[in-house]
Amino acid sequence: MRRKVVIFVILWLFYILQTTVFQLQTVTGVSPNLLLFLTVSLAFMQGKKEGLVVGFLCGLLIDLFYSRTLGFHALIYLLIGYGTGHFCHVFFDEDVKMPIILVAVTDFIYSMYIYVFGFLLRGRLEFGIYFTQIILPEIIYTVLITLIFYRLLFKINHALIDRQKEERQSLWIRD
Amino acid sequence: MRKTRKFLNGLLKSRHVLIVLVIICITLILATFTRENSQGPLYTIAGTVITPFQNGVNRVGNSLLDWSSGFKNVQKLNAENEELRAKIDELTAQNTQLIQAQAELKRLEDLYELDQEYPEYTKVAASVISKDPGNWYSTFVINKGTADGLAVDMNVLAGSGLIGIITETGENWSTVRTIIDDASSISGMIASTSDTCVVSGNLSMMDSGKIEFSELKDRDEVVTEGTAIVTSNISTKFLTGLLIGYVAEIEEDSNHLTKSGTLIPAADFKNIREVLVIKELKQTKEMSN
Repeated sequence: MRRKVVIFVILWLFYILQTTVFQLQTVTGVSPNLLLFLTVSLAFMQGKKEGLVVGFLCGLLIDLFYSRTLGFHALIYLLIGYGTGHFCHVFFDEDVKMPIILVAVTDFIYSMYIYVFGFLLRGRLEFGIYFTQIILPEIIYTVLITLIFYRLLFKINHALIDRQKEERQSLWIRD
Repeated sequence: MRKTRKFLNGLLKSRHVLIVLVIICITLILATFTRENSQGPLYTIAGTVITPFQNGVNRVGNSLLDWSSGFKNVQKLNAENEELRAKIDELTAQNTQLIQAQAELKRLEDLYELDQEYPEYTKVAASVISKDPGNWYSTFVINKGTADGLAVDMNVLAGSGLIGIITETGENWSTVRTIIDDASSISGMIASTSDTCVVSGNLSMMDSGKIEFSELKDRDEVVTEGTAIVTSNISTKFLTGLLIGYVAEIEEDSNHLTKSGTLIPAADFKNIREVLVIKELKQTKEMSN
């Protein structure tokens, strides 16, 4: 329970940071995708179900304020969370290399989803420009964020899990 | 208790959660794909939980930004200050002349009983509290909403130019889609000749700070670089005569009938903090006239 609350607070904090501090410089400037980083990292550490739920919540928050169609972002975020969850327990989750690869790949998939449904279908064909101006910088920034913050998130998550286990054991004894 | 919970956990495989949530998403997409406006309870809750914090965080961020740039720019500001003082003297002289000219104009207008061309609109000032989290669209949220009398489709200005239009409102927030957003397309016209054109945002040109215009029927061949483009009278959502920007490049289309090109927006999109919302809708205005 405590873990869920903390994760939810982190998610909410990331959303606020993403829409304020990280967008301060310009409207047109490219910024990293914090929510994608959160979804991918948690899915990689905790598995499919958590990735799924966290992704859904992240996407829904974006949809509420910034999308004309509800569920558009929620769908891709939850699929990304679910997909990344498959790599959980297959690799060592304290190693930062795997999350970086996952973040880069999923950010590309996410960008393609937005490009195809938001732009290509309206006849914007210049993929090269979009790739060099938006997709590539976003991936690089998000990978940088992963490099810096993944360890921190990993430590927070493990501290929470340890605590959860302790509580469970103490309950067990009392029973 | 523990047993039922374990049972539930076992039953709720991630695959089932996936299917349920995907179905929810697709239903939401289908249900809201063609919606005109949105005023659900979900928005009200989200608005009250999120916006106050964004407001606070942004205020702190902005003041930090001001503080740091203030130190950096002291030298530059001093030089600028000198320059501006000189400019003030120059402008004061000019101003007195203009006041005289204005008085004369007023007198002549009275003489001819001309109405003012553009009536003064009532405006509300609002500050920007958050911006689109992604990099694909340029929309932002302001800190005023239905409580201050704002409504969907109200025009938003910043400085001298048009900046966008309200697409969603809550009690204490509104979402504004800017005119440089890729999905934005508005009907404009040349101020002097009333020839219309279509002004649309384009993400691939966002780096250069320009937007596109097309389908301009320039019958009298008067449009050159620097010509002002304003919102047209045939636009359904934008009030007439708001300054959009100035023509930067123009060329004839291959059909030799219309022209297209780029224009530089009059509003400064690089740092939008305060905006003015015109509390008047084109539709209601027309009805009352």
